[in-house]
This record gives sequence, structure tokens and C-alpha cells, in this order.
Amino acid sequence: MSTVLWIIFYPIIAFAIGVILLGYGRKFNARVQRRYGPPIQQVFYDILKLMSKRTNISHGWMHDTALVMLLGGTLLTLYFIPVPGFDFFSGYGDFLVVMYILLIPSLGMALGVGETANPNGSIGISRALQMLAGYDIPFALTFIGMAILAGTTNFSEIIALQQAEGIFGWGLMTNPFLGVAALIALHGMMGEKPFEVMVAPHEIATGPMTEMGGKYLGMMMIQHALNVVIELTIYINLFLGGAANWASYLVKLFVLMTLILSVNALFGRFRVDDAVRFMWKVPLVLAVIGVLIIIL
Amino acid sequence: MSEKLTQRKAWDIVLDKLTKRSLWMLHYCTGCGAIELPPTMTSRYDMERFGISAMVTPRQADILLITGYLSVKTLQRVILTYEQMQAPKYVIGFGSCTINGGMYWNSYATIKSLDQYLPVELYIAGCMPRPEAIISSFTELIDRIGRGEANSWQDYYDNYDFYKKNQEHVFGEINTYVDIKDDKVKFGI
Ligand code: SF4
Repeated sequence: MSTVLWIIFYPIIAFAIGVILLGYGRKFNARVQRRYGPPIQQVFYDILKLMSKRTNISHGWMHDTALVMLLGGTLLTLYFIPVPGFDFFSGYGDFLVVMYILLIPSLGMALGVGETANPNGSIGISRALQMLAGYDIPFALTFIGMAILAGTTNFSEIIALQQAEGIFGWGLMTNPFLGVAALIALHGMMGEKPFEVMVAPHEIATGPMTEMGGKYLGMMMIQHALNVVIELTIYINLFLGGAANWASYLVKLFVLMTLILSVNALFGRFRVDDAVRFMWKVPLVLAVIGVLIIIL
Repeated sequence: MSEKLTQRKAWDIVLDKLTKRSLWMLHYCTGCGAIELPPTMTSRYDMERFGISAMVTPRQADILLITGYLSVKTLQRVILTYEQMQAPKYVIGFGSCTINGGMYWNSYATIKSLDQYLPVELYIAGCMPRPEAIISSFTELIDRIGRGEANSWQDYYDNYDFYKKNQEHVFGEINTYVDIKDDKVKFGI
């Protein structure tokens, strides 16, 4: 019974957390720039406004379908990642499944933006795929390392193993190389500065979102809010010992988000080739060292 | 008009109260007034505290801020931009050049009154208006949206022939790739 309730309400809870995290991010940025900043629920207003637009331009049926793929793929991923109290689906799909379905939203976006035929959008998509090649290899490697260390690819078992030994059992403590490599890869995955090459408002006019208006953009923002929660939760589950209860889960989410936002506030933007080169130089080398330490 | 207002559903009233807190602005800055925008956005006046942030493409924007004079050529671009925006959309004329031509009154190359060509929601008087004036116009716009009175954009759909005639009078025929009359029927505006 509680599983059914979780399945129904978990996306709503995750959406609420994501909206608050994003609002917190905007407030944080504003404070760093010595501004007062928008209220913390600002992202909710934005989404509501976009969803209540009176006109919506569709560029064709792929443009419409892509949004469903985008949101559907994200919701699917959300279910496979265990959070405190809800790990029903993670028994049926391990990290490999998550790595695989994480690509569905990007694919959907690529198809949809392709149909809008906007050059800025196409550049944005090509940049997104280049970045994917940059951060996905170190991220997959860190996971392979953790799987060898734990002897399993199941999220729940990895979490249980880490929690058995308290804070010193956390992946970040048992193998700091992998932890740091995954943190940098996570930063690239979230597309925060200095890896903001995909959106880059001042260069390519928000890339994939250029032709998106009204409800289309609203759906993309909902997806973004869910995606933030997904990416942070993957890292928490692998390297910060998961979370035993919701209080510690929320604390870990906010601490990790603050860390990423602080880096985001300090840096400018890499060029896309520099970003990929950085990803293949620093986190990849760290991840290889981490895996070697475990094997040898 | 008042007929329409009394018939507004309760849901619309609630929605107006919430959505007025989020306005995205596209600034069309060929006039001199653009120099007043950076202080409005940054820490001195910080317009983001009202939920107003700058956007980069017309598809995402709600406010079209026209800073200063428009030549006949740039007017074409403004109209192309305006028609790509998604309704509800608000045009704000910024500076005396958009109101009556300002100091370019005698110029052969600029248009005089913006509201002949686009439905203007608000004008900000001054040459050039200070950031305080911009902020006060934004809060005025927010109040109007909250009361459900910011309906100037519907005028473009209702009186398209009037605007189209004026536009063609200055630069002849152009293809904007947006069928306003078709949209009016399709979206029930
Ligand atoms: S109103 Fe004044 S400041 Fe603005 S564009 Fe005209 S001349 Fe320039």
C-alpha cells in the first residue's frame, strides 16, 4: 500500500524539492552578487506562468513528442533511484539501468530541438552531446570502481554497505579519488558554470531552449527541477552513504547543492572544447587512479 | 471590456495573482536608453526581486521593452520579434522617442508614435528615464496584471487591420510568418 502511495506522490515531492533547490540557487547567486534576489518560490511562479500562456507555437509532431520523451524519461529515472523509504524499483534495476535511461531525456531533447530547425538550438544540442562524452566516461568509471569495491551494482546494497560503517564507510572516505572525480563529473552533468556550455545565454541564446516558449518551456523547466534532484541523489547514494531518513537526505541535498552553487558563482564559462578537455584530463585521470587503487 | 472583466473566472483571478510575479523581459536596445538597464538589473536596483529577469529569445519573453527611437528598418525587426512572442505579452515604450518622436521628431528615418504599430501597455516618459522610473513602471505593470487589466495585447488580435495598415504605410508589405487572425481563432483570444 505504501509503495502505491510513494509511486503516486514521489514525483510531486521530488518536484517540490527541485523547485526549492533551484529557487535557493537563484537566491544564492543573487546574494553572491550583492543583490536581494527573487523569493525562494520564484521558479514555481515561472513554471506556472509558462504553463498558463495563451498561445503556444508547435513546430511539428516531433516537437510535441520530444517533450513527452523528455518528461517521461526523467520520471522513469526518478523511480529507479532509491530515497529513504522508497527503494521498490531499485530491486528491479541497478545503476546500469539508470545510466542507460538517463540518456532518454537528452535524446528526446535532441529530436525535438532538431525539428525546430533553429541554428542556436542545433549548436546547443551538439554541445550537450560533446559534454556528455566529457562527463559520462569519468562518471561511468567511478561507478565501475564503486561496484568492484562493493561487489554489487545494486543501489540499495551499496547504500547498506556504506551505512554499516558510519561516516568512514562513505564512498567519499573509502575512495576519495573516485569521490572527487564523480563530484566534478556531477558538476558537468548539472551544467553549472564553468560547464554551462550547453545553455550559454550570451553566446547561443539558451541553446536548446531557443525555440521553446509557453508550455514547452514549462515542461522543460519541470524536467530540469526533477533532474537536479536525480543527479544529486545519485551522488549521495554512491558517495555520501545514501540517507537513513528524510532529514539527513534533505541536509545532504542542500549541502551538495551549496557546494555546486559556490563553484558556479565563482567561475565564468569554459569553451566547449576546453570543458571536454578538462573533463578528460582531471576527473578521468582521478577516476582511473581510483579504479587502479581498488584493483591492485 | 468591463463585460469581459466581470466574467473572469475565479481561477483566472488566482492565476493572475501568481503569474504576475514572474515576467521575463526582452529588451530591444537600439536607442540610447539601453544604458539605464544594467543598473536596473544589477545590485543597485535589482529588478529580479520582483521576478523580472532578462531573457534572450522572443519565444520565452513576456515583456518587450523598446528603449528609445525606432527607425523604419528596426521597426520591421521589432514587429517580427513581437509576433514571435507568446501571448499574454506586454510592450513597454521607454523614453520620449517612443511616445512622440522626442528629439528625433524631425527625422525622416524614425517613427514617431509606437502605439500606431504595436499595442503599447505602458510608456515611461523621460529622456532618458532613470532606473527608478523603470522599476516603478514594472511595479505598475505587475499591479495591472494582478487586477487583470493588462489586456493591451488582445488589441493586436482584435484590431489587427489597423496595425497592419500603419505598418504597411511606413515600410510596405512584409511577411512576418505569423498569421495573427488564424491564431485568434485557434487559441480563442
Ligand atoms: S528618449 Fe532620449 S535617451 Fe531615449 S532614445 Fe530618445 S533621445 Fe535617446
